[in-house]
Amino acid sequence: MFRAEPLIKIRLLMLASEAPDAALELARFGIYNPAEYAPAALDEKPAAAYREAWLEAESRVSKLVERCGGLPKLTIPQGVAAPTLADLEELNAWLKEVWNACLAAHEGEARIQEEVRHLDALQETLAKLDHLDVDLARLLRPSGLLAVNIGSLPAASIKRMGEALSMTGSLLYTFDTVGDQVYAVIAGPRDRQQEVNGLLSQAGWRELPVPPELCAHPDTARSCLLEERKRVEARVSAECNAMDSLRGEYRSGLEEARLRVTLGQPLAEAALVGVRGRGALASLSGWIPRRRAKELQSALEARFHGQYWLNMEEPQAREARQVPSLVCYPGWLKPFVPLVKSYGIPRYGEFDPTLLFALAYLLLFGAMFGDVGHGGVILVLAVFLYRKLGRTTWVGIAAGIVSMGFGLLYGSVFGYEDVLAPVWLSPLHDPTHILTVAILFGVGFITFTLLANIYNQLNAGHLDAALFDSTGLAGLLFYLGATASIMGMSGFVDFGYFNPLTWGMALLGITTVAVFKWVETRAGFSERALVTAIETLETGINLFANTLSFMRVAAFSLNHVALALAVFTIANGFDTTGHWLTIVLGNVVIIVLEGGIVAIQALRLMYYEGFSRFFSGDGSEFVPLKLAGAK
Amino acid sequence: MFPTGNPVSAYLNTRVTLFSSRLWEAENFSKLIETPATEMAETLGARGLPQLAAGFDSLDNRSLEQRIIAQLLEETTVLIRPLTGAGRDFLIYWTERFEVSNLKTLLRGKMTGERPAELLNRLTPMGSFGRLDIQDLAHAEDVAELLRRLEAGPYAAIVRQARRAFEENHNPFILDAALDRSYYERLAQRAEPLEKTNGVAFRRLMGGLIDRINLVWLLRYRFNYNLPPSQVYFLLVGSHYSLTSTRLRELAALPDLADILDALPASLRTSMEGVTEIPQVFTRMEHTAATSAHKVLRSGAPAIARAFAYLLLRERELRSVRAVLRGRLLDLPPADIRLAMYQSLSGNA
Repeated sequence: MFRAEPLIKIRLLMLASEAPDAALELARFGIYNPAEYAPAALDEKPAAAYREAWLEAESRVSKLVERCGGLPKLTIPQGVAAPTLADLEELNAWLKEVWNACLAAHEGEARIQEEVRHLDALQETLAKLDHLDVDLARLLRPSGLLAVNIGSLPAASIKRMGEALSMTGSLLYTFDTVGDQVYAVIAGPRDRQQEVNGLLSQAGWRELPVPPELCAHPDTARSCLLEERKRVEARVSAECNAMDSLRGEYRSGLEEARLRVTLGQPLAEAALVGVRGRGALASLSGWIPRRRAKELQSALEARFHGQYWLNMEEPQAREARQVPSLVCYPGWLKPFVPLVKSYGIPRYGEFDPTLLFALAYLLLFGAMFGDVGHGGVILVLAVFLYRKLGRTTWVGIAAGIVSMGFGLLYGSVFGYEDVLAPVWLSPLHDPTHILTVAILFGVGFITFTLLANIYNQLNAGHLDAALFDSTGLAGLLFYLGATASIMGMSGFVDFGYFNPLTWGMALLGITTVAVFKWVETRAGFSERALVTAIETLETGINLFANTLSFMRVAAFSLNHVALALAVFTIANGFDTTGHWLTIVLGNVVIIVLEGGIVAIQALRLMYYEGFSRFFSGDGSEFVPLKLAGAK
Repeated sequence: MFPTGNPVSAYLNTRVTLFSSRLWEAENFSKLIETPATEMAETLGARGLPQLAAGFDSLDNRSLEQRIIAQLLEETTVLIRPLTGAGRDFLIYWTERFEVSNLKTLLRGKMTGERPAELLNRLTPMGSFGRLDIQDLAHAEDVAELLRRLEAGPYAAIVRQARRAFEENHNPFILDAALDRSYYERLAQRAEPLEKTNGVAFRRLMGGLIDRINLVWLLRYRFNYNLPPSQVYFLLVGSHYSLTSTRLRELAALPDLADILDALPASLRTSMEGVTEIPQVFTRMEHTAATSAHKVLRSGAPAIARAFAYLLLRERELRSVRAVLRGRLLDLPPADIRLAMYQSLSGNA
């Protein structure tokens, strides 16, 4: 819970033909993170073609499943083998055939839809042509000197088309617009018809064939269109039957294809980083938890009966940045994990701050927003919004409970300070005390972060930084010495006004930091001196500025009471209805506005004053190879 | 020297000035031709081309092109950082021509039945500028499916018209031409508000670009593809620069190259003296546009105009660097590479 689980590096060598089954076994194992750790001699990528074939098959299966729909939930039988490359290629050929068949049926449906739209357009055209006030039979007569086209083209092209047509001696007359299509008549000399046709095909012109019926009496034309619509509707039903029959014909094959694709996924996924090889040999490499090593060996032995070679190694110190972090959290802590991950993922071996975060965040939130009533509202809201908030609900519930707890300590219920007697103290009645407690909390918090950083640096093998850096032991010595000296000078503790021990600690600490900075800086003398001076000064300023930053905890607890007082003052100016309305609205504002601000401030304190001091956050997450649909 | 009232302009101007100090002079190309292979990576890195320094000796032309585009995208990312509104939209849209090029690669790949993995390898990574789901598109079964998917994506407006044209006439040339025309028409539309607010400098840059595209396309379509004048005109970009739509209609109707060059507006005609072939037209116009961009870059023009001028020059320069690297890899004599560079950079092809 406080650091990532110890991992070991594995390299599994087997025949390339066994690689799909090996990857499947590792995915079933459920806790293998592929990574590239193959020896230089294995410089080929034996699974690249497999991945390519799998991607094609997966894409086709997804499209077909989407079209066919209604496939049952996938279950993976035990002991089933992963498809080989040849299997995938065969599957791909079959899927392409099915896709083409479905596409033909789908295109058939699309064509019918197109015909329906066309009939609608013809009907509209019929109405429009009435307004054209021309004798269509005469206009469209093929023997005339004039060539005429009736059709549609994208509205964006209409201006340019008119200009281009004018270069051929043709005219364009638009008579209707449907969506982004403009319907138009083009008339021009027949001897340039070929040029016009070329131009029209460039522009995406759709000819609107005018059947002879439309040139006849309008009533005859209408009945002709009605007949055509009945014929098209009959075809719609036939096409639907054809699609249903295709679905029935290919359904079982498609289910099998989906299973094959699922079984091929582990090697296809691992191929991205964890599979190398040469000739007939393939190597799968990556990370597994050390505690599961024996279990993996047994699983591989049961599956491959000694026909493999498994190498396991502890990670080297220089590899620490590449090792993924696998941390197992108890259920109650999991809702806080995303808040930590939004800052970063702990490096392998680094102190994991999730528990610290959860406890300190709740404590800070409660201290800044301590009120039995407001905490209760947050708690009820979190429970009420359980479905929407998911796991985050527990953060809300915990924040509500802690807020209520501090409400009891402060004696505050919806801002009223005279309902409950404070178990501890009312912030507004003793602000100095609450400010002092907040600063002491800050000192404790920063001390803890410095200790955590020393641990992390030692763990990473950076002994010099752990001992001498501003966030190492020297920085801690300075911080504690200087803090104790200030406390002594202010009379807060009985160390005397000038305590040589505490001042000595501070001086020793800051001098060590300065020497370390000097040694670390690679530059000319003056630049080195400047950098050392600035960074040493920054050490002192930063630590104390960060400590004072915790005064905001007290400030917000005071602010909470002050806001409530402001609401009461306004409410007292109204009659009974106005009074209670103001109280309710005022409390809503306090919960929404101040609650939101406090939540952000607590997060800020954790990230900026806490994490930035010890948590690099640039680790990589342990992402195990999983088998979709596996239990 | 530059207007500094607006902090965004001041920041962008400073950025452009810093970047423009990286631009190459003719003698830098000369030195690059002579640089020993062992010092090449260092030279390219020192001249602000880290993307080209790694793997400069690769024979893979596609990879070189991809790295040039990566360099341009990286610099564009820095330049658009302080921008908002029309300026930002314009520069982002300017990068989209690389994605339109990806789109054309996808379409051609589907026409020839190329495997998705091979196709994906040939596409230019667009980084944060990418808007196409190339994995999904590469796995489309055929052109029709690809076009349908594209119509549901960010390039719907560009693709819709192209699809109609392609369905009527299964000609890849028409598809390419329709995509290019749609892209540049939209670029010109995005430039219009900037021309109004950024004065003559920005308009001059856009004019140089669109006039060159229109004139070169006109000549190619008319005399290389032998298309009739009306079709040629339809495939050109609607323009309000030196070559207006009316002028383009007149030019498209003329029977040969000499007549077209004679009928150009005076400003363009003088730069075309002695030109007898279409590639020369391109080189001359590109040279003229580059001269104009250099002037804008050195002037106190608005920051967005200077940024655009820099990007135009940088792209031209990177293509010249690529030419030098290719020439060296093909073991061409330095004198030949130098001559080709001179002709390209001076516009005297």
